[in-house]
Amino acid sequence: MSTFSTRRQFLAQMGAAAAAGAVLPTGPWLDAAQGEAPERSSRVIIARDDALAGGSVDEHGELLRKLLDASMQRLSGAQDAAAAWRRWFKPTDRVGIKVNTLGHTTQPAVVDAVVAGLRQADVPAENIIIWDRFDSELDKAGFKLNRSASGVKCYGTDAEEVGSGYQSNVETSGEIGSCYSRIIAEQIDALISVPVLKDHSLAGVSLGMKNFYGAIHNPNKYHDRNCDPYVVDVVSHRFVRPRWRLTVCDATRGQCHGGPMKNPGYAWPFGGLIIGTDFVAVDAVGADLLDGERKNRGLKLLADDKRPTNHIATAGARGLGVADLSRIERIEL
Amino acid sequence: MDGLDNLFSAPTRRDVLRWGVACGAAGALCPTGVGIALGQDVAAPNTLPGLRLKGLARHEAMFWEKLDENKVKCVLCPRECEVADVERGYCGVRENHEGKYQTLVYGALCSANVDPIEKKPLFHYLPGTTAFSVATAGCNIECKFCQNWQISQFRPEQVESVLVEPERLIATAQARSAPTIAYTYSEPVIFYEYVHDTAALARQQGIGSVMISNGYIQEKPLRELCRHLTGVKVDFKAFSEKFYEETCAGKLKPVLATLETLKDIGIWFELVILLIPTLNDSPDEIKQMSEWIVQHLGPDVPMHFTRFHPTYRINNLPSTPVGTLERARQIALDAGVRYAYAGNVPTHPGENTYCHQCKVPLIRRTGFRVESNRIRDGKCPDCATPIPGVWSAEQALAFKPREKAAAPQTAGQPS
Repeated sequence: MSTFSTRRQFLAQMGAAAAAGAVLPTGPWLDAAQGEAPERSSRVIIARDDALAGGSVDEHGELLRKLLDASMQRLSGAQDAAAAWRRWFKPTDRVGIKVNTLGHTTQPAVVDAVVAGLRQADVPAENIIIWDRFDSELDKAGFKLNRSASGVKCYGTDAEEVGSGYQSNVETSGEIGSCYSRIIAEQIDALISVPVLKDHSLAGVSLGMKNFYGAIHNPNKYHDRNCDPYVVDVVSHRFVRPRWRLTVCDATRGQCHGGPMKNPGYAWPFGGLIIGTDFVAVDAVGADLLDGERKNRGLKLLADDKRPTNHIATAGARGLGVADLSRIERIEL
Repeated sequence: MDGLDNLFSAPTRRDVLRWGVACGAAGALCPTGVGIALGQDVAAPNTLPGLRLKGLARHEAMFWEKLDENKVKCVLCPRECEVADVERGYCGVRENHEGKYQTLVYGALCSANVDPIEKKPLFHYLPGTTAFSVATAGCNIECKFCQNWQISQFRPEQVESVLVEPERLIATAQARSAPTIAYTYSEPVIFYEYVHDTAALARQQGIGSVMISNGYIQEKPLRELCRHLTGVKVDFKAFSEKFYEETCAGKLKPVLATLETLKDIGIWFELVILLIPTLNDSPDEIKQMSEWIVQHLGPDVPMHFTRFHPTYRINNLPSTPVGTLERARQIALDAGVRYAYAGNVPTHPGENTYCHQCKVPLIRRTGFRVESNRIRDGKCPDCATPIPGVWSAEQALAFKPREKAAAPQTAGQPS
């Protein structure tokens, strides 16, 4: 464990890092069992490449890995990609990669790049679970299901025996009362959210935080008031917040309106990834980008379309991260 | 809850094929599979041969409107959910599928029991008879004290269910000598289409249908449904908007409107008020509620004050003291309600029915069991005062709504 046990240790490590020329915007991961949130940076990386905007995303696996590794280096200040990944993940971690397979879905090639990064940190393949609600939706989105004991696992909460459904007890967090997926409750201790850069008919956007509606049994109960503060309540829970170390938003194929279903008329070939450790900051940047594209197309801004992204502001106000765009360091690669 | 295989006769291969086609979900029938494993607390009926539901029991929904961009607006309940493609309404059992609204629980029963009608509770409806009682997953509100939250607050794919078409449900009720089918446990409003079709068919075959509901439904679908129902019980949660909003995620006004509509329709209905210490048990609130009932519904609508026990999301409050029930009952009687009961307190004299005129006991009950019933031809045998209620199957089946049913919607028309 490399948690900082004293303020002195923390300062000493900070000093050592500075002496080595490394930028240390974020601290290393903390033990989720302690119930503490990992230190996060309000730095958000936007990594784009024109090649990603056309053709099949599947053809650009290597490019995605390079972009992601470079982004992780910028986030961590590490000298190489492996070191960057190791800042947030260690070999004993059991890492859950929460993808979005409803409507306009996460691209498997993006998740492959995330897995490759974790492997650089020596996280065993068997310790990685790609998951969402349903096997059927994962399959439809192009993910290869794997319920076996070897290799990277991939299954839904509904998968018999391995997914095991939802917990039988109701967890209360703020205004919500939900049973969480047994995957997130029992099978992992680190989380990566891999949402899609997309519009949502009620929440305004469906990004990293909204993605965790797929972790509770009753998301249908929490769409009133533009999902605010329910989204924040869901991710504030001890199963999510202290374990959530990274967001890698799949912005290869964004969608600026008509979500969460895939709506080709509003497809936006953004051709990139949006990455950060502050999940509120990543969502704030994503929402801002979507609004920018809406403006370009003559669409109403989300707030004017009766879909304000209030949940992001609420998350910021509650101290889960930085929602104020002026305080977010936006870096474009 | 009983295993469903103990209640329904096994279907024939023809039944399976016909049902699969009828609900457009032939692939949803799973001869050997199992449903999603939920917590052990969740009701998990045993499988029926060949009919355990693996997928969703899709069926076109009633009472919805098309909106732009493939969205739909549900006008079944007061929430009026606007639902984008692939999304579901608040109830979790109605889904927008490519611009058309579907119910996902048509005949997907997750619970079935033969209950005394007194368990609903309906005390003035065929006392001493049984009701074949069924439910699907889902609800359109969320009471933090829900006793059946393991089915009401879950989605259909999260509970084990079996497909039971209306004909087979009716045949099973008949085989069990139940004069009534009760749609209950979760919330019948959200499995409206199944209730509608089954109740209509059941009535033709001499079986009545009662809906045990929260009353959270719009007027048009309510009027349409009451063409086929023979009785209703409404859970009247409280007499404050605050309680409905904070404890039930609903609103009071639509429920009041439902009660007035039921009165207008003329169908027999009774009210249950679950009294929760400190939340809805103040004498003032009960007095206001009782006065509203007498003024708007008349003095003959029975009120059942029942005990709360800690469950679901309210575990920090004690069970309701019996004294609170007694006090509430007396407040209601003082306000002019003629039939007020204390419920969930077996052997309590407040469970009996007394003639409102001469005060003699007419129906004596111990829990859900009727010990004696002196009502004859719907009247008190001592003073000949008519006792409001439904006292014979013939009377139940003869019911006709006072007003003509509302015109069906253009989209999602009643079948």
